[in-house]
Amino acid sequence: MSKIIKGPNTRELMEQMVQESEHLSINDRRDFLRKGVVAAAGIAATTFAGRSISAEINPANLPPNEPAWGKQLGHGVVEQPYGLPSTFEKQVVRRTVPWLTADSIASISMTPLQDLKGIITPNGLVFERYHGGVPQINPDEHRLILHGLVERPLIFTMEDLMRFPSVSEIKFIECPANGGMEWKGAQMEALQFTHGMLSCCEWTGVPLRVLLEEAGVKPEGKWILAEGADGAHMSRSIPLEKALEDTLVVYAQNGEMLRPEQGYPLRLLNPGWEGNTSIKWLRRLEVGDQPWYHREETSKYTDLMPDGRARKFTFVQETNSVITSPCPEKPLVKPGFVEIEGLAWSGRGKIKHVDISFDGGVSWVPAKLKGLVLDKALTRFSLVTKWTGQPWLLQSRSVDETGYVQPTLSQLREVRGGNSIYHKNSIHTWKVAPTGEVTNVQIT
Amino acid sequence: MFKLRDTRTSLIALGVGVSVAIMGAFSHAEPLGLGETATEEQIAGWDIDIRPDGKGLPDGRGTIEAGEALYEERCATCHGLFGEGEGRWPVLAGGQGTLKDERPTKTVGSYWPYASTLYDYIRRAMPFTAPRSLSDQQVYDVTAYVLYLNEIVEEDFVLTKESLASIEMPNKDNFFVDPRPDVKNTRCMDKCADPKKLMIAGTLKGITPVGHFVEGADAPAASHDAQMEKEREEEKLRKAHITGEALSTQHKVKAASLSELALAGKATYEGACKVCHGSGLTGSPKVGDSDAWSARIKKGMPQLLDHAIHGFSGDTGVMPPKGGRVDLSDKQVEQAVAYMVESSQ
Repeated sequence: MSKIIKGPNTRELMEQMVQESEHLSINDRRDFLRKGVVAAAGIAATTFAGRSISAEINPANLPPNEPAWGKQLGHGVVEQPYGLPSTFEKQVVRRTVPWLTADSIASISMTPLQDLKGIITPNGLVFERYHGGVPQINPDEHRLILHGLVERPLIFTMEDLMRFPSVSEIKFIECPANGGMEWKGAQMEALQFTHGMLSCCEWTGVPLRVLLEEAGVKPEGKWILAEGADGAHMSRSIPLEKALEDTLVVYAQNGEMLRPEQGYPLRLLNPGWEGNTSIKWLRRLEVGDQPWYHREETSKYTDLMPDGRARKFTFVQETNSVITSPCPEKPLVKPGFVEIEGLAWSGRGKIKHVDISFDGGVSWVPAKLKGLVLDKALTRFSLVTKWTGQPWLLQSRSVDETGYVQPTLSQLREVRGGNSIYHKNSIHTWKVAPTGEVTNVQIT
Repeated sequence: MFKLRDTRTSLIALGVGVSVAIMGAFSHAEPLGLGETATEEQIAGWDIDIRPDGKGLPDGRGTIEAGEALYEERCATCHGLFGEGEGRWPVLAGGQGTLKDERPTKTVGSYWPYASTLYDYIRRAMPFTAPRSLSDQQVYDVTAYVLYLNEIVEEDFVLTKESLASIEMPNKDNFFVDPRPDVKNTRCMDKCADPKKLMIAGTLKGITPVGHFVEGADAPAASHDAQMEKEREEEKLRKAHITGEALSTQHKVKAASLSELALAGKATYEGACKVCHGSGLTGSPKVGDSDAWSARIKKGMPQLLDHAIHGFSGDTGVMPPKGGRVDLSDKQVEQAVAYMVESSQ
């Protein structure tokens, strides 16, 4: 067990801060933000039902009784030819924030990170983002055209593509707007909404480099335009360097063909880069000598700075981390042994360290990296400790193999202000109350 | 630098996993011969992209006059008559000088660096409910009109291949390449901050969707964005009050008196029909607008349902079969129609 609080002073101070924060409320957030006055909010007294346990327990199924399922037969094979989760897990679903977008057809849903284990996101729970709804594509009628500055323009059927030697790689995919609702202040009282535009799968397909070699890129080729077949015909310009390095043309995820929401039958995957460069329902790749400056790389997915200028081609998802247990959806239930767990990731490579703070970033202890530590993949961290009912200001801080340390929110805001929408990878804070309730707070 | 053969050579020199042609193994140096040569005709049909230098633009001649008529018919329901944006649909015009504000308004005129992007985007994705339905000529017209709404071109401007590429957008020079990493934190382990100076801010009450926490709870719509929208609505009402203009208010759907069939259709409506029937997009009858619906209801449910399932061209607009959502079953369409009819009587 690690010594958590470094000395009584820090601890007393923290308890006092938490106590004070309970009595303050915010009536006007904009005033509050403008004045830079910090108070803690009246937290919605929401109870975290999740799967409510106590009300549904039938003592007849508990020892010493033989439970009902031990006295009868269950259903046979292929009654569910495609298996589904237990009906008792029906709360584990993607969710959306209705006020975010004008319509659900061009919107986003988030992955329930609070309910997941390990580093792989099950296919049905991978976050969704699309701009014209999910197309239903017959793979026999799907084509990929590769043209532009190439020696030989090519058209591929799915069968052609699946004949190329394949690779399978575990990579995360994250929307650059993940956490974007929190730039100006804490808004979302749930891990699913603060960090859920994030998933990690084993992707199978062909390296784009191989397809480019097949077509023969002309020397003046520097950029590639990738385009979707859906009604939005999403398009992004990708530098050829990336395409040659690790971009994949993907047709399978986690062992089965892509889900329609993930681009069935074919998508691009740019590991470690903002999710929307990984064009879904991929139908066309054009090699050119300069970028195209399409809507999704000018009007959107550019980061507005305080001086009114904007960053373009902000491709990489810098290192980030979050504690997934406890979190608002998974509060601490009773004092005693507790495993603090979370996820860390970096678009620049592997995770090197993750540290945890219990006192809002004053002191830190190293966490253990669990299981696989892979390049540009989710990495799970863990720290076993004891909770005795003391308040915590829980944070995690990741360091990737380039040595880049996950920044604080103040550091990001100082450089980028509050209007950049994208790429908020700052250290996140959960406030753990003496009751075990966990709420989303920001520390500055 | 990008010559593939060079890259491969350097990889081999570094000994990085490159397959070598030994017994049974296959070298990638020679093409695998997979895929067919794409014909010019095949490429031409899909090659719809436009670049800032005008590459990709088809022939055409767009006028503000033709664009205005088309815009009002096909675009204004979502984007507003003057590009001001309805609801949360994108604002297209105005916003100049707001990029440093606490709430910047990013529009074609205030933010977009290139006019070519407008042609490209309208051509590939607009109108939202019927992408790729406009001719190249129509795209020229609408593009010209949106530029005019942004006061980037004059009323007599004619948009062509040449003139489009020569337009200088006001915000053109204000984009720069990603400079990240732009902040430098250190891996401090102890006394990293002064606890006395830590300031803790919580969340605003009632923003997080809590439907999954408490059964039956509604997702509250309060947020920075929602607040902005509310203020916009209030401002509209205020202006309307001053000018005596009649403004249609949001129709409230009454849930109390719905039949079982209609209630079953609510989810389908929300997920499939609302995009048009919630706002009257593309000339569709708006849910809650009893005038618009009564004439249709008079013709009887069987006909209404037939039109919904098989499609219909009316005086004011087009209903594609199942609203374009052919994945819906007839039953789901029937339920959704019941929901819309009962909510609009």
